[in-house]
Amino acid sequence: MNKKLFVYITLLGGLLFSQCRQLDLEPKGILGESELFGTEYGVKMYFAGLYNRLPIEDFVYYATGKDDGYHNTSNYWDAGKNSLGNMSGEFFNTWVSVDNDGFAYWPYARIREVNTFIQNFPNYRQNYDDEDYNRLLGEAHFLRAYFYFGLAKRYGGVPIITEVQDPLAAPEVLEVSRDTEYDTWKFIHDDLQFAIDNMTDDTREKGRANKYVAAALMSRTMLYAGSVAKYTESLGFEATELATQQGLAGMRPDQANEFFGYAVAAGKIVEEGPYALYTAGYPDKATNFANLFLDRNSSESIFIKDYSQNSPNNNILRHSYDAMMVPVPDFSSQGGSQSNVPLDFMELYDMPAYVNPDGTPVRFDSRSDIREGMEPRMRGTMYFDGDELRGNTFSIQRGIYRTFDVKAEDIQKGVNTAPINSNGNRILGGRGWTTQIDGVTYTIAGKHGSFDDTGIENNAFGSAFIRKYINPDMALADAVFYKSEQPWIVFRLGEIYLNTAEALYELGRREEAFDYVEKIRDRAGAKVVRPAIDITMTNIGTINNANYPYSIEKSLQFIRDERARELYAENHWWWDLRRWRTADQVLNQFRPRMLSAYYVADEGKYIYLEEDNRINREWTASKQSYYEPIPWGEIGKNNNLLPQNPLY
Amino acid sequence: MKKFIIYSVLGASLLSITSCYKADNWDAPDVRVHGRVIDSYTGENLLTSQDEWKIRIWERSWEASEPNNQDLSVKQDGSYNNSKLFAGTYDMLPYGGPFWPVTDTIKNVVFDGVTQQDFTVTPYLQLIDFETSLDGLNLTLKCRLKAPIRTGLPNLVEIKPFLSLTTFCGATNNIDIGEYSNKRIQINKSWQEEVGDAETSNVYTVGPLPVKAGYTYYVRLGANVNDANRKYNYTEIVKVEVPD
Repeated sequence: MNKKLFVYITLLGGLLFSQCRQLDLEPKGILGESELFGTEYGVKMYFAGLYNRLPIEDFVYYATGKDDGYHNTSNYWDAGKNSLGNMSGEFFNTWVSVDNDGFAYWPYARIREVNTFIQNFPNYRQNYDDEDYNRLLGEAHFLRAYFYFGLAKRYGGVPIITEVQDPLAAPEVLEVSRDTEYDTWKFIHDDLQFAIDNMTDDTREKGRANKYVAAALMSRTMLYAGSVAKYTESLGFEATELATQQGLAGMRPDQANEFFGYAVAAGKIVEEGPYALYTAGYPDKATNFANLFLDRNSSESIFIKDYSQNSPNNNILRHSYDAMMVPVPDFSSQGGSQSNVPLDFMELYDMPAYVNPDGTPVRFDSRSDIREGMEPRMRGTMYFDGDELRGNTFSIQRGIYRTFDVKAEDIQKGVNTAPINSNGNRILGGRGWTTQIDGVTYTIAGKHGSFDDTGIENNAFGSAFIRKYINPDMALADAVFYKSEQPWIVFRLGEIYLNTAEALYELGRREEAFDYVEKIRDRAGAKVVRPAIDITMTNIGTINNANYPYSIEKSLQFIRDERARELYAENHWWWDLRRWRTADQVLNQFRPRMLSAYYVADEGKYIYLEEDNRINREWTASKQSYYEPIPWGEIGKNNNLLPQNPLY
Repeated sequence: MKKFIIYSVLGASLLSITSCYKADNWDAPDVRVHGRVIDSYTGENLLTSQDEWKIRIWERSWEASEPNNQDLSVKQDGSYNNSKLFAGTYDMLPYGGPFWPVTDTIKNVVFDGVTQQDFTVTPYLQLIDFETSLDGLNLTLKCRLKAPIRTGLPNLVEIKPFLSLTTFCGATNNIDIGEYSNKRIQINKSWQEEVGDAETSNVYTVGPLPVKAGYTYYVRLGANVNDANRKYNYTEIVKVEVPD
């Protein structure tokens, strides 16, 4: 027995030691640098991971964070509730409000991956012809610029890291200081200029960068930088804030025109590409505008982020937009809408009059008549009563007036105490509730709201839902979590035109600017496609009658409003308010107003009334919102990141 | 077997409880610092609202790295008090309030036992001649603005009414409804454009503000300038009793 055991142990020991010689073999399941950087397909794989991490505010972006706003892999169906539109007041909702200080975005791990490529790719120079080599190197610079844009728009100046740092290096080497905001934007410019110069005009892969995509990013970033330079002065940070005094958070007005010039030049490059404003759906300009966001072959899309049912769930390449933006059960089968359109944004477009010159409400034969005379782009952006989706028709009404014999303003914004709303004259109710008036039974509210006894979930507050990006071809049963796969359009020509228009106007080239505005408004179906230039100065904005701390020409305000119209629900507005330095005034107790439909029983007609949002929701941004704080955890690791951004 | 399970569970729960008893090797912070923020014009405490801005402190006896600032809240009466700080040496600075920036950080204040440290600040604006008048259920507020220092004064932003049902009244405690906040007077002009060469403005009238019968309100006006923080200078708080 003992002998046997001894033999076993010896054999076992022999086996154990005999393995050691073979343990330093190259593992066969892992791709090394030579496989990844040495072949074009390998590079594509390497870049795919970086593309998935680009700071793109898309369908699955969480404006208030939840780990990382760009990349929440668990239960990310509720991104629709936490969207940038909800956070910034662009959508009315009861869920989130302004988040001034962000979620500690700090993508230096990704930047390191790009730097690793840029540093080591030349070792594989012999594997590529000139064009492919330059193109891939250009693409890496595009990716790096995109990550830096994500940083610069949040923090201003950040450390510019262009080398792969050695983790064992001395602290003096690793503890890098911040660069100035000017240098950071210039670095983004230089990276993108490199990308434009080295990439080709091959536009076959819409989810991948090319020369024009780099130019589109250049257009957006340089407009941002130009606005920061021009308007930061108006914030009053210079007097007390060290970060501003040192140029880390803020630039000088005399640096603005350089960036506006870059934005204009970049826009011209994009125009050389094979893009055109989408008109394939003409002559119906409303449907055309809606289809622009759904047509995979849209002539207007420059760069898209695609989604697919075939992708694993945890790489967040499916989304839930169709389920989350329209109400259950008639249009969605799971979750449901929590975002409505405030009247403040509806008013930006051409709308039919709903108040007569004498102050009384206009009488409509049908609720759906409110759509007559609306700008087609508005109808392509929002769903109203009478619109159809997935086999059902939107039905939106807040309540019933037994009689209505006063002026619209006499409802006193909809308060219960107004005489016209008292003594049972105004009838409100919940889902399906009915009332009897003179022996006739009426349903009080519309089928999709507005219900007085519930919150905003699947309940119209106001009179519109969001239509942009909703896919009408999806069956009702399919409108559930993680089933949507329409791409997010990261850059489209419409945005680039508006970027160019604004930059041109800022440079004093007013008529040229309005050439672009005219193209946009013609496609939108607006009544006046080219308003006359108005150089009267004003400091009053349109939304919330915001009181800007500086004055601009009225036509520049018109271009800003044109962005709000054209780009509604495309996650631009918040960043626009930040770069214009108007967020703390536009969102100075911004209480979205609602347009509510009522039936007037004794007349058999419908009226639309302007009301305050009934739960007194307001959005307020502070001056902190212009810069997020450099993550405190990073400062703990590296004191050279001080001084902290203004007001933190 | 049953016994084994019972003992295991018992043992595990005992272990989990005893772990709670581990004593911290550091005493709880017990040092108090308090003081007043004094308005240089009146010599009284600065009129402010509860926790609207802070006294910043940096613990300099911590030398391992650059210390992050801590914030001490300032009360509505212009005083501050914190009795849960660690003993040490601190720098102190009133920061982010409605006064001309304080550039002289007070260095190396020793916190040990009870420390009193007062600050004197110069408000941007004074709100004077505050009057309230009640007409039925409509309240009207009046005041004048005074700016003793006008050179370099940031633009005036707004004059805003604050109503509260408690004695706490100001930007951080008020009845936040559109009927009140929309009655603010938005200015956004320089003092020169709005008022001219004078030190004191004409009377501003804010209202009418709808109030409810039988309620007691605490009201004041606030005005701010477009500095980095845009905090309010206030009138005193006045109690308004609305008859039934």
